[in-house]
Amino acid sequence: MTLELVVLIKVVPDGKEVFVDPVNFTLNRSMATNVLNPADENALEAALKIKDEHGARITVMTMAPPFAEPFLLECMSRGADQAVLISDRAVAGSDTYPTSLTVAAAIKHLGKVDIVFAGEKTSDSSTGHVGPGVAEFLEAELATYSRSCRYEDGFVIAERELEEGVEVVKIPTPAVVTVITDSNNPRRATLRKKLNAQKKGIIVWSLQDVGLPSDWVGLRSSPTVVKKMLPFPAIERKGKVIALDMIDDFVKELVDSGIIKRGGN
Amino acid sequence: MSEFDAIVVGGGPAGTSAAMRLAANKLNVLLVEKADPPGSKNVSGGVLWGNSLSGVMPDWEKTAPLERYVKSKGIGFLTKDSSIDINFRSTKFNETKTGYTVLRTKLDQFLNKKAKDAGVTVVTGVTVDRLAFEGKKVVGVEQDGDIITSDAVILAEGANPRVAIDSGIRPPLKDEDVAIGVKEVIKLPEKTINDRFNLREKEGFAGEYVLGFLDGGVEAGGFLYTNKDSISLGVVISMKHLRENNKTYSYDIVEQFKNHPSIAPLLEDGKVDEYSARMVQEGGLASIPKLYGNGYMIAGDAAGFSFSNGLILQGMNYAIASGIAAADTVVEAKAGSGISEQSLSRYEEKLMNSFVLRDMHTFKGIGDITWGSLIHQKMPGVLEKVMLGLFMEDGEPKKHVNQIVKEALKSSGLKSSKLLLEGYRMYKRM
Repeated sequence: MTLELVVLIKVVPDGKEVFVDPVNFTLNRSMATNVLNPADENALEAALKIKDEHGARITVMTMAPPFAEPFLLECMSRGADQAVLISDRAVAGSDTYPTSLTVAAAIKHLGKVDIVFAGEKTSDSSTGHVGPGVAEFLEAELATYSRSCRYEDGFVIAERELEEGVEVVKIPTPAVVTVITDSNNPRRATLRKKLNAQKKGIIVWSLQDVGLPSDWVGLRSSPTVVKKMLPFPAIERKGKVIALDMIDDFVKELVDSGIIKRGGN
Repeated sequence: MSEFDAIVVGGGPAGTSAAMRLAANKLNVLLVEKADPPGSKNVSGGVLWGNSLSGVMPDWEKTAPLERYVKSKGIGFLTKDSSIDINFRSTKFNETKTGYTVLRTKLDQFLNKKAKDAGVTVVTGVTVDRLAFEGKKVVGVEQDGDIITSDAVILAEGANPRVAIDSGIRPPLKDEDVAIGVKEVIKLPEKTINDRFNLREKEGFAGEYVLGFLDGGVEAGGFLYTNKDSISLGVVISMKHLRENNKTYSYDIVEQFKNHPSIAPLLEDGKVDEYSARMVQEGGLASIPKLYGNGYMIAGDAAGFSFSNGLILQGMNYAIASGIAAADTVVEAKAGSGISEQSLSRYEEKLMNSFVLRDMHTFKGIGDITWGSLIHQKMPGVLEKVMLGLFMEDGEPKKHVNQIVKEALKSSGLKSSKLLLEGYRMYKRM
């Protein structure tokens, strides 16, 4: 039976073009162009690698207004087989809770699923909630912060990159894997696949299609309340120059300023 | 059977015009553009001269994103301290609009959208590797190992014709055929531009300059065009000169141009919005490659269709006209004997009968003049001396004009016999 893989993506404003409004501390996104969330590119690539090895059907999925369509087509142009856009006015203003709920409902609506891939977090809100949230609602196993993973007879073996080191986990499918940014080299779209994607188009589902009542989602069903945003104070660099062959001075400088600690022995 | 009647490589003015014309004739067309969005990899000085676009879009003057129409055309010689300008303004340009300043990012996106609306399959963000051949016949394009088939391919890939070179249908560019263009777009309020250039709403200025004051005697031309609320400004330097003076950097030259005492006040308080560089083909007739073969044609900048006589710099109108001619050739060939080298030879005939190749023939050899030391090194200085002789009041007894000119020539080291000869050559070729 063909492996069924789902890749969750989000279209985000290009982080390089977003700045904090100096007066009211809100994010000004008006100058920013939209891009695919960087970690999602790695999530897609992780899925494509499993498809290369085992054969699979990959569905990319996002919950967004219709402007996300070209990004879904781009994912298909890199090798995904189909794309689902969950688009409904009722979901506007949803935080990560109803978003996870809606995405999980859409995945169930697809039918059988083996592995769901998502980026470790999105570059615009950085919560990292949706992947684990979807796992919860699907009652699937979860491996977060994966830097590489493979599939083996009904199991996912994922290398998780943690602060303390690397943890290798083996979990049964269905599983959700969140993938860290820059953990692989996303392949490029090809002309042939772009043509096929344009011809095939995307699938658009409403809330009704995935079988959720509209009062379960949207701003009113979102527990998060943003009270205010504060700017991160800029760190003044000392700009001290130390010649390359004075490496001892450099190390001493780092120890003296408390950036690094001297070892135990 | 091929997947497409025609594949057009490149979504600039040449490619989009060709694609629209093909689609208008009910042909199944694929347009492939490497930039996403279209225009984002483009650098053009930015005056669209002439009315070629009406061939694919009769109402283009109303619908296309045009900045200003050229009301005022300038030619200037700049020395370190002075500028000698001719500024031609005419209300006749109000009635017959001869040129519009454009920002190519906007224009190219518009043209690609129009092509899509016309039924063209537009694919952006992917680069074609090379033409696909079956024997000597072009049967489509190759990308990442896949072949997309078509009866004909129109290469409209711009001034850096990589696909044509990699497919072995044209030789690599030579230094002497190439110039480097560097451009900046400088933001200024619309009203400030109107005041500084003496323009009303929608009226624009387009100026070309001989930069006779550059460090090390580097030869370069400058240009300055007004957009709605920005100024496009830049320089064109011949690749040969750039290589000979390897301490010369194109951005230095742009800075020197921007800081010139006659230019700087026009830009004051402006913010650099973007900067970019590109190749400009200036080889003229001698550098034009074979324009067609069995199953393909080359159009626009990729074919070296651009025009510069020192007074004016043009490319987009040649691109559009050649794109349309290539499209018409495909349409006629398909309706007649089919695509072959023989049937596509009509393309060159069409160009010979239009301004595209006519202008190239009329002005062959112009590069010797426009890139000569007479224009760049001698002329500005001589003109400055003459003007100072005429207009600078220094308390000395006044001289006749012929005396002033004689002295100016003498100090520049130009022999009047040589000047006469060079001047005549220039006069004949321009």
